[in-house]
Amino acid sequence: MATADVPAISRSRATRASLRLAVLMFMADPQWLIPSMIAPVIFGVVAFELFRGAGPYFLTYAILGAGMMSMWGQTLYGSGWAIGQDREFGTLEPTVQSPTPYVYVVLGRVLWNVVSGLMGGGIVYLVVLASAGSPPAVPDPVGFVILFLFVMLTLASVGILFSAAWVYTRYSGFIQNVGEFAFYVGTGCMFPIVLLPFWTNPIGLFFPPTWALDALRYLSIPGYVGFSWGFWPDILGAVVTTLVYVAIAGTIFKRVELHVLAKGNLSDY
Amino acid sequence: MATVNASAGAPLAPATRTSFWRTFWTNAVIAPRTTLGFMRIDFVLGTIFIIPLMQMVFFVFVVQVSGGGASAIAFTALGNAVSTVTYSSIFSVCQTTDSEKQQGTMEHLLVSPANRLALYFGRGLLPILISLATVSVGILYAVLLFGVQIPVATVPSLAVSVTLTAFAMVGFGLLLGGVALYLRTSIILGNIFLFIGLLLSGVNFPASQLPTVLQWIGYGFPLTWGLSAIRASVAGDSLGAVALLWGAVVVAAVVSFGLAIGLWEYFERRALATGSIARF
Repeated sequence: MATADVPAISRSRATRASLRLAVLMFMADPQWLIPSMIAPVIFGVVAFELFRGAGPYFLTYAILGAGMMSMWGQTLYGSGWAIGQDREFGTLEPTVQSPTPYVYVVLGRVLWNVVSGLMGGGIVYLVVLASAGSPPAVPDPVGFVILFLFVMLTLASVGILFSAAWVYTRYSGFIQNVGEFAFYVGTGCMFPIVLLPFWTNPIGLFFPPTWALDALRYLSIPGYVGFSWGFWPDILGAVVTTLVYVAIAGTIFKRVELHVLAKGNLSDY
Repeated sequence: MATVNASAGAPLAPATRTSFWRTFWTNAVIAPRTTLGFMRIDFVLGTIFIIPLMQMVFFVFVVQVSGGGASAIAFTALGNAVSTVTYSSIFSVCQTTDSEKQQGTMEHLLVSPANRLALYFGRGLLPILISLATVSVGILYAVLLFGVQIPVATVPSLAVSVTLTAFAMVGFGLLLGGVALYLRTSIILGNIFLFIGLLLSGVNFPASQLPTVLQWIGYGFPLTWGLSAIRASVAGDSLGAVALLWGAVVVAAVVSFGLAIGLWEYFERRALATGSIARF
């Protein structure tokens, strides 16, 4: 049972141990190469072929889009599995019963999802770079890197919320498989969502990466036409939605722990 | 293969095979809803109606952003409408081997006297039907939403192309399922072929844009030939030209089914010899 007086060292140690285990399981089970590495590289090369010759910043578009899909894919599948694995292995209840709040265990797994997604983005960058023969034109490289890290943070918040939500549903696999392209479309991974019918835009705005990615494109692609409100409101929207996601996820995780004590049926698969 | 009285030292006699049609029916209708697990109504409806739409929207908008015109959009829309067949034909079928291993039913299946041909064709039946529905709905989306023109006169030829493609793709899925018998998991295999068609089979851009080596690899996939046949049908090419492509699709289907059965028999013998291959 998690208690309020759990020392911080225990929490950070749980997160580190969880992160380490996630790395080891990633290496032991190569299926995770698909969403984080293989699929994005294929999408990146396809995007490169489609964008070829479409202006000086087409390379940035292709790399950003495929890299983003890599991180999205890893977040979507990895976070779904973050709790699913405990449920399937029968370790969910013992882990939740341990003194450290469960959210810190999940945090370690989500961190690895972000890192492996970033690795996928790096591989996409190298593959597209090799196809193009020259690096993409980025006006503000330092700002680009900082904002890219921020995009990862927004994705991590989505990962934590999804992890929490998947506890209450057996449909995570369905949502991941059927909704994969829907997430890519709805959050504007490869193109701005302002191109989509207007009624779809508010749905996309529920996701922090939509805001952050729009800001990243404003920064790195001169002449980019995204949301009419521009760069800084994008940043503000991303920060606010990320905080909301983290707050909701924290609430859900607390509820999960109470639910375990009350019902004792959390590990039913 | 299963025998009787082996432990008693009596002469080996071939076990009685259950009827072909009973095995076929069990694997076609009952197994997908139970052990194989892919016949769930939410997954089926999602595969038929949602995945094609989302995949087409995604790539069509990418083409639009890159400055592609109406013809490029139509090309991409039709390509993705057809390529979504891989979800039901390759991924679902390929994963049946995993499902058997995971649920511990593979050992029982391997020592059962079930007719293997009936088993394989039975498992392919529902995926073929779902594949037909997926491609049909995808093509409908392409016409209604993305401006793909399909003259009425070409519909019979298109129907033949779609049907042959569905058969060939399910055969390819069974082939990968046979390979998966030897692997720890088939998920990687299924996923690789799920995505690689987008690149090598002329789905989003003509395969001729690729380096020659990649083009030749692409020719090894039934999707490449099936998609070519469907594009030729839609374009109203002569029956002779389309028939050549149909021949290629049929060859791809026959080779896939043949290799699938051959692989299954080979790995089945290995499984019985080593006793470990059916583990997850």
